[in-house]
Amino acid sequence: MSATLNEIGQVTWRHRSVIDLDNWTREEFYFFLDQSRHMENVMDRPVKKVPALRGKMCVNLFFENSTRTRVSFELAEKMLSADVVNWSVSGSSAAKGETMRDTAWTLEAMGADIVVMRHGAVGAAQYLASKLKRGIVLNAGDGTHAHPTQALLDVYTAWKHFGDLTGRKIALVGDVLHSRVARSDVIAFRTMGCEVVLSGPPTMMPREAETLGVNYERDPRKAVAGADMVYLLRIQRERQQDGLFPSVDEYHRWWGADEELMKYASPGALAMHPGPINRGVEIASEVADGHQSVILEQVRSGVATRMALLYLCGGGAR
Amino acid sequence: MAELREKTQLMNSQDLNRVIRRIAHEMVECNKGTDNMILVGIHRRGVYIARRLQKLIEEAEGTKVPCGELDITLYRDDLTTLSEQPIVHSTRMPADISGKHIFLVDDVLFTGRTVRAALEALVDLGRPQIVQLAVIIDRGHRELPIHADICGKKTPTSRSEVVEVRVDELDGKDEVVICECDA
Amino acid sequence: MGKLLFKGFKIFNGTEFIKDDCLLAEDGKIVKTGSGLECGGAEIIEGDGRLIVPGFIDLHAHFRDPGQEWNEDLKSGAMAGAAGGFTTLVAMPNTKPAVSEPALIEYVLSHGAAAKAARILPAGCVSKKREGKEMCEMEKMAEAGAVFFTDDGAPVATSQLLRLALLYTGKVLPRVMEHPEEISLFQGGQVHEGRVSALSGLKGIPGASEEIDVARGIALVRDTGGRIHFTHISSAGAVELIRNAKRAGLDVSCDTTFHHLTLNENAVINSGYNSRFKVNPPLRSVEDQRALWEGLKDGTIDAIVTDHAPWHMDEKDEPFQEAPFGIASLECAVAVLLDYRARNYPEVPLELLFTKMTSAPASLLPEKWNALGRIEEGAVADLTVIDESRTRIVDCQTWKSKARCCPWEGIALTGWPVMTFVEGRMIWQDSEEL
Repeated sequence: MSATLNEIGQVTWRHRSVIDLDNWTREEFYFFLDQSRHMENVMDRPVKKVPALRGKMCVNLFFENSTRTRVSFELAEKMLSADVVNWSVSGSSAAKGETMRDTAWTLEAMGADIVVMRHGAVGAAQYLASKLKRGIVLNAGDGTHAHPTQALLDVYTAWKHFGDLTGRKIALVGDVLHSRVARSDVIAFRTMGCEVVLSGPPTMMPREAETLGVNYERDPRKAVAGADMVYLLRIQRERQQDGLFPSVDEYHRWWGADEELMKYASPGALAMHPGPINRGVEIASEVADGHQSVILEQVRSGVATRMALLYLCGGGAR
Repeated sequence: MAELREKTQLMNSQDLNRVIRRIAHEMVECNKGTDNMILVGIHRRGVYIARRLQKLIEEAEGTKVPCGELDITLYRDDLTTLSEQPIVHSTRMPADISGKHIFLVDDVLFTGRTVRAALEALVDLGRPQIVQLAVIIDRGHRELPIHADICGKKTPTSRSEVVEVRVDELDGKDEVVICECDA
Repeated sequence: MGKLLFKGFKIFNGTEFIKDDCLLAEDGKIVKTGSGLECGGAEIIEGDGRLIVPGFIDLHAHFRDPGQEWNEDLKSGAMAGAAGGFTTLVAMPNTKPAVSEPALIEYVLSHGAAAKAARILPAGCVSKKREGKEMCEMEKMAEAGAVFFTDDGAPVATSQLLRLALLYTGKVLPRVMEHPEEISLFQGGQVHEGRVSALSGLKGIPGASEEIDVARGIALVRDTGGRIHFTHISSAGAVELIRNAKRAGLDVSCDTTFHHLTLNENAVINSGYNSRFKVNPPLRSVEDQRALWEGLKDGTIDAIVTDHAPWHMDEKDEPFQEAPFGIASLECAVAVLLDYRARNYPEVPLELLFTKMTSAPASLLPEKWNALGRIEEGAVADLTVIDESRTRIVDCQTWKSKARCCPWEGIALTGWPVMTFVEGRMIWQDSEEL
C-alpha cells in the first residue's frame, strides 16, 4: 500500500469544508488513507491523545439523532485535543424556531472552528458552509444526499484488507433510494477504481441509476457474484409502511444477506454494514457475526478516518 | 518562495560517517553498555541516522539495540499558525519504552522546538527512565531550555541560513551543507 | 395626456417587425406608425436602432396579496413587472384568503391599479376558497374582471369538478387555467425524477405527474366541448399530448416558463442544491427542455410566462429541502430569455419569442383584452423599449420586487428592457437611461 502512496508523492491538501466526495481524486483518497493509518496508530497508544487540534473548537451540531456518528466524531475530536461542544436540536428548523442562517451566525459568534453537522435536509451542509465566514463544515449526513465520512471509513476498511482497490467489486444491497451512505459509497468506491453493483427492490432504487455510473441487478445473487465486498444497507421499517416493499419477511428472503447469499461472493469477501444493524432484516446474524463481517472494524475505522479528516481540514491558521 | 542556495559544505561523506561512529561510541559509553537502551529517530532524517547508529553499535558490541521512529507532527506547537497541515508520518516503537534509556536522534538541533514536541510525544508512549538527545549538528539559536547530550559538531550559524544534513538513503549522498535563503 | 413620438426604432407589431421606424401615441392610444414622422409638441424619444414592442403580457404571476404581503404585494409586484418590461400581469388567486369571490377580484384590480405601474388582471379560483369542492361564482367574478379561473398551486381537485368547470365556462367565460399535476405522484417531491433525484436522493416528481393531468384535461375538453389552458408546462410528454390535442382540433392552449426554457435539472445539481433553483414544476431534464423549445417553434406552446413566485429571504434562504418552491423572475425574465436564445437558439426568430409574450397571450385573455399585445392604429399604447446590446448583471438587491434571490443572481445578461409605457405613460425606465 505504501508503494501506491510513493507513486502519488506529495498531495497538497485543498479540502476545507467536506460536503461530499464528488471532487476528491484517487490520489487524495490514497493520501487520506495513509494519514488515517497514522491516526489509527494513536488509538493503540497508552495515552490516546495528541495535541494536534489543541485550542480548536468543534461543535457537533445534530438535527437528527445519531449516537454512533456523533460519538465517533466526538472521540476523534477528543483524541486530537479539540474542545468539543455537542449541540443537539430535534426537529426541523421550523420547529426549533430559528432559521439555519441564524444558527450559522450564532456558531460563528461563538467562535466555532469546525462544525460537524447532521441534518435531515438535502443541501443543509452546503448551506451552512456558505453562511460561515471562518469555520468549516464537515457533513455528517445531509438527508438522503451524502455521508462522506461513512464512505471514507468504508474505503479505509476495504483498503486495509485489499490494498489497491482497483478492479475490486462491491455490491450494495438494500434501500439505495433513501441512502446517503450508498450515494457516498458509490462515488468513493468508483473513484478508487472499483466496480459497483446495486441490488434491492426496484421500488427502492433511484431511477436512472446509470447516472451514478453503476449497474443494477434485481437478483442479489447476481449482484453479489464474485464480489469482494458485500455492503448491506439499513432497511428502515417505515419504508414498508410507505408501501415500498410488501413485507419484512419477503425482503429478508430475497435481499437479506445470509450465508447462502455470501457463498456467491468471492472467497474472502467482506460483509459490511454502516450500522446499526437490523438482524433478520437486511442481514442475518450468521453473517453479521461471521468471519467475513468487518462491521466492528468499520466502527474503529470511523474514528481513525474522522481524526484524519479533522486534522487535515480543520487545523491550521484560519 | 525563497530559493535555497548552497553556501559551504560543512562535512563530506567521510566526516559525517566519522561523526556518526563517534556518536555511537559515546552512546554505549554513556549507557555503560547496551542494556536497557532504545534508539528513537525523529522523522525524517533522524530515523535513518538512528538506523545507522543501531548497525554501528551492533558491529562494535554484538548486540542489536532496539530502534524506533517518532513523528512529532501532531505535537508541533505551530500547527495553529501554519496555513497548510504538515503530513503525518508513522510512529513505531520496537518495545515498551517505559523504564528504558532513550536516545532521541535527530539531524540538526536549532530552536529546540522539535525536541520539545518529541519529548511530549515520548511521554504519551510511556515513561522512560532517562531520555538523552543526540544530534549531528548543533547550530545554536535555541528558543527553549534544551541541549544535546551528544553532539557531532557545534556550528555557529546565522538565522537566515539553513543547515542540511543529507543522508544517502534519502538524498543519494552523505554530507552536511550550509545553505542560504535568497529572498 | 400628451403626445409621444418614438423615432428611429425597430418596431415589432405583435407578430412581426415592420418597415416603419416611427410611432406616434396620443392620449394613451397608438395613433399611427410610419417613417420619418414629425409631430409638433410631442415628446420625442430617440430609438437609435433599439426595439420597441407591445408591452409584454405575463399570464402567470404570484403577488402574495392579500395575506402574505411581506413576500410581495400588488404594488411591489406591479412595479417589478414594469421594471421587467411587462405591462400586463395576471395575478394568481392562491393568496390568503384565496381570490374566490367577486369582492376579492375587485380588491386585486383596485390595489393593482393604485401602483400606477404594470396593469394587474386578476385570475379567480375555480373552487370556493380553493378547496376543490364547489365551483366559485364564476359569472359574477368574470363580470368583476377575472381573466382566468384556476386553482393554481394545485390542480383542480377532482375530475368531476374540472368537468363541471369546463362545461360551465364553455367558450363564454374566461378560460380555466390548469396547474397540471397528479397529486399522489407529487407528495413529498422536491426535484425532477431523473438524474437530479438519483444523485441527491431527493424525492423525484416524475414528468408523468404532469402528463397524467394534461391527459385528464384533454379528455374532459373532448368530453365537454369546453376549453382549457395548461400552465407552466415542463415535460416533453405534456408537450406531445397538447400537440396532438391541437391537431385533433381541441380548444387547448398552454404556456411554459422562462426558467423551464432556460434551465434544467443540471442547474440544481451544479448549484450544490441551492434553494434558489427549487421550483414546482421542477427544472427537468435536458431532453424536456429541448422539447419545450420544439413546442415553441411548432406552435404547440402559446405563451411564455414567469410564474413569478416571490419569497422573502427569511423564507427562501433555507437548505434546499426546507425551502419553499418558487422562482422570482419578473425583473430579469426577458433578459434571461434573450440572452439564452442568442447563445443557444440563434436560429429561433426573435419575432417568435416576442409573439409568445405579446399578441399570443393577449388572445387567451377575455375579449376585452384581446387587442393588447399589438402595435396598430387605435391600440392601447402599452409599449416596451428593448436594448438588445445592453449587458447588465442581475442584482436582486436593486429589485422592486420583495424577493431577493433568483437563479441568475450575479450573472451578466445581454438584451434588456429599458423603458416601459402603459397607456402612453412611462411607468419605468432603466436608471442608465436617465
